[in-house]
Amino acid sequence: MSVHSKHKPKTAFGAAVARTEEVVIALLLGTMVVLTFVNVVLRYVFNDSLIWGLEVVLVLFAWLVLFGISHCFRITAHLGVDAFVNTLSPEGRRITAIISAVCCVVYAALLMKGAWDYYAPFAGLDATTGRWFPTGLADTRDQAWYETDQIPMLDWLRWLEPLLNEGESYEKLPRLVVYLILPVGALLLLVRVIEAAIGVVAGHRESLIVSHELEDDLGAGALHKD
Amino acid sequence: MEIVVLFAMVVALLLVGVPIAVSLGLSSIIFLLVNSDSSLASVAQSLYQAMAGHYTLLAIPFFILASSFMSTGGVAKRIIRFAIACVGHLPGGLAIAGVFACMIFAALSGSSPATVVAIGSIVIAAMQKVGYSKDFAAGVIANAGTLGILIPPSIVMVVYASATDVSVGRMFLAGVIPGLMAGTMLMITIYAIARIRNLPKGDWLGWHEIGASFRDAFWGLMLIVIIMVGIYGVPGLTGAIFTPTEAAAVASVYAFLVACFVYRDMGPLAAHEEGQRNKTLLERPYALVTAFFHRDTINTLYEAGKLTITLMFIIANALILKHVLTDEQVPQQIAEAMLSAGFDKVMFLIVVNVILLIGGQFMEPSGLLVIVAPLVFPIAIELGVDPIHLGIIMVVNMEIGMITPPVGLNLFVTSGVAGMPMMRVVRAALPFLAVLFVFLIMVTYIPWLSTYLPTALMGPEIITN
Amino acid sequence: SCDEGEIVIKFSHVTNTDKHPKGIAASLLQQRVNDEMNGKACMEVYPNSTLYNDDQVLEAMLQGDVQLAAPSLSKFEKFTKKFRIFDLPFMFKNMESVDAFQSSEKGQEMLGSMERRGLKGMGFWHNGLKQFSANKPLLTPADAAGLKFRVQPSDVLVAQMEALGASPQPMAFSEVYGALQTGVVDGQENTWSNIYGQKFFEVQDGITETNHGVLDYMVVTSVDWWDSLDEDVRTQLATIFDEVTAERNAAIAEVDAANRQAILDAGGVIRELNAEQRAAWVEAMKPVWEQFEGDVGTENIEAAQSINASM
Ligand code: NA
Ligand code: NA
Repeated sequence: MSVHSKHKPKTAFGAAVARTEEVVIALLLGTMVVLTFVNVVLRYVFNDSLIWGLEVVLVLFAWLVLFGISHCFRITAHLGVDAFVNTLSPEGRRITAIISAVCCVVYAALLMKGAWDYYAPFAGLDATTGRWFPTGLADTRDQAWYETDQIPMLDWLRWLEPLLNEGESYEKLPRLVVYLILPVGALLLLVRVIEAAIGVVAGHRESLIVSHELEDDLGAGALHKD
Repeated sequence: MEIVVLFAMVVALLLVGVPIAVSLGLSSIIFLLVNSDSSLASVAQSLYQAMAGHYTLLAIPFFILASSFMSTGGVAKRIIRFAIACVGHLPGGLAIAGVFACMIFAALSGSSPATVVAIGSIVIAAMQKVGYSKDFAAGVIANAGTLGILIPPSIVMVVYASATDVSVGRMFLAGVIPGLMAGTMLMITIYAIARIRNLPKGDWLGWHEIGASFRDAFWGLMLIVIIMVGIYGVPGLTGAIFTPTEAAAVASVYAFLVACFVYRDMGPLAAHEEGQRNKTLLERPYALVTAFFHRDTINTLYEAGKLTITLMFIIANALILKHVLTDEQVPQQIAEAMLSAGFDKVMFLIVVNVILLIGGQFMEPSGLLVIVAPLVFPIAIELGVDPIHLGIIMVVNMEIGMITPPVGLNLFVTSGVAGMPMMRVVRAALPFLAVLFVFLIMVTYIPWLSTYLPTALMGPEIITN
Repeated sequence: SCDEGEIVIKFSHVTNTDKHPKGIAASLLQQRVNDEMNGKACMEVYPNSTLYNDDQVLEAMLQGDVQLAAPSLSKFEKFTKKFRIFDLPFMFKNMESVDAFQSSEKGQEMLGSMERRGLKGMGFWHNGLKQFSANKPLLTPADAAGLKFRVQPSDVLVAQMEALGASPQPMAFSEVYGALQTGVVDGQENTWSNIYGQKFFEVQDGITETNHGVLDYMVVTSVDWWDSLDEDVRTQLATIFDEVTAERNAAIAEVDAANRQAILDAGGVIRELNAEQRAAWVEAMKPVWEQFEGDVGTENIEAAQSINASM
């Protein structure tokens, strides 16, 4: 199990969620590699191509990262500078950790609003008004008709057509499907950083960044110590 | 003025321990909301497009994955055996072999930290065993590991190419001569120290061991050939087979196959207990299918995915910062200021080096490049600096940034694999850092080192913008 | 940069500012707006995809983050499939036909056809007709069979390559030069200005003057933004825009010829087709029309053909 011992979830449900996140990350990356490889073989050997392959790989790339950001907050894998913080007293370190956690929550909240405002029109919904904070809902022009370039429409998503596309059929997968990861990823991020912030305030979490004095598996996509 | 506030804010957030990505992103968002008319939605769009809109950056997850399969799958330890067979008998032999192994692994992997982990986790312990000090071992590997981004393939070159639209293939070729040179300089330095301090040397194991270790490492070393032939083709035999980005994906698949089915150090054919031997495919033919879903495969994919996510989170937020700077037309202002200050080529390159060296203290290399490259690139073109040369200068600066505190990826990783505090690694790396500095000066003022190979093989660089 | 109180008009595009037809036109527009509307409006041009690429810019415009953009016409196929007419092979005889069609009632209808989706077409900007290039001589359609061609992601262009028996390959534009050079793909299609600007001729056996398709741009703005402007600002802006458009479009033949000549001067090979060879290319790609007739509308195809006939 690659879940770091200090991040071991306490409940069976937590462990299941953790493993699911790991497998999803692995599957997204695995699919990206296989699709790219298949297109190379198709082109060089069979003089053919999956014309949508490139675009799907790019979408999966975005999904991988946007889905994974929150996961990496949960396991404290994000990089930061701890050289200055390490010179402080324990009390000072606690204060900086709280400041840092608050910054992350503010970032995630702003991103959540941005992600919603960006995504809403694609799903036929309304963006929010207000520059910093949502102050209400705007009457937003619908963009549910907006399709991807080359990704074929999936038949099991045809129910979207009467709901969002005025009954017109989609020739290509609509953007509302591929962009879904933005609000979802932002929401997961917001949840995880709030969780982390509470952890820091309550005192069972020291910081939101990798600690370099102790950490032994940074950069270790490559490292397996057995 | 606002720009100074922006960068001050980034640094302040970094210092209190805010994650690098969030420091960049939050500062950019606040700057954008205060100073421009652009919406928060544009930030979300930039974040998504950081991945979906930058095709060349795909090489990052793929090269990371290839490295992971090679280390997990036993390629690294075979490369080390080969390196020791070749140069282990010289004074300071194991240290020189460590550098040599880093150079070979660098030619397979696009990342410096991955190179340190793959080679360092074995070599540092081995060096201690034969009588080197831990500090010396850690210093050598932390430095030699930086060759991971100078010897092609290289994630940092991919990021530079993506930021400036120069050819990735050209950048890769440009790294060959400087990479070999930097490696040689490190080895000579070690040799000199070894003669003075009378460091341990290994036994000459004979040509037989060189041959045997080469055969053992052959399938790993073949990857270098596959990548080079795939990207550049063989004159008269075949054209190129894939783009540099695709090369990374092919490398991952190849490394996976070698790890699971040739070396069988991971996956369904691996021995799981001490003393057991690895199974063959004949014994377990179903492995052809199960290997793809084996726990080892999933975990390697996950580890590579995790590293990709943390790196891309930084790069994506650096791209948001870049977007905000562009939106405020900062690059034009800086270009005008530099040009009207009457900078010539030499002065310009010094300024670039200073900016990067200072930036490298605080930033992760890819993120820094994403921000700095678009700022200085137009000026470089204006002054007649070769874009490929500029790229190599930037890469060497990034190498130095990786072994200087407070943010030095190689320092972090070395302190991990060597099990020693980071500041001790910093001191240990210092003597060799001096070598890299001399090297930086050489690369800066001898453009030929960077441009000879790409020009000879691909013709002169074209500038279309 | 802009003064306090001026309306800021951000124009994001993907080419250089001084060599590419689109870049030249954008720079001229910027200069005239900033001279003539000083105090009222101020235009900032973001070239070379520094702010947005063509895929992102329309989303950004609908979001209100940018005010002017000039993507290639195939980008508008998502708004209405009528725009596929410009991708259909040999639909237009020459650039005069293209110009006449765009100025005709049908063409002007197209400018307004996206208003329900929030975009207003200001006008068409020319780049020119597309040529094929490959790593071997292309004289008949059979020469293209079996070759790998990089195409823009568009159904019509994919169908066009398949009609030739060639293999359409998706590829990021920034990778095309390297891929042609090393032989990852065999050929591509583009206008003279792009083939010269991207130096594709250096890494190809030659360019065949097929003039088989149109690569033009539409300058668009957001309906919401446009409607928010004062009447006099709108009128002045539209007038300047129309004058710039007329001036630069009239110069396109000259720009194309100059780029074509520059390729020859730099040692590139250009092959012309005789009438028989040309007819073979037309014949080979004709089935593509039927495939997309429903999308484009028979009346539009007929209008284009009658314009061709009158030229
Ligand atoms: Na490398
Ligand atoms: Na550093």
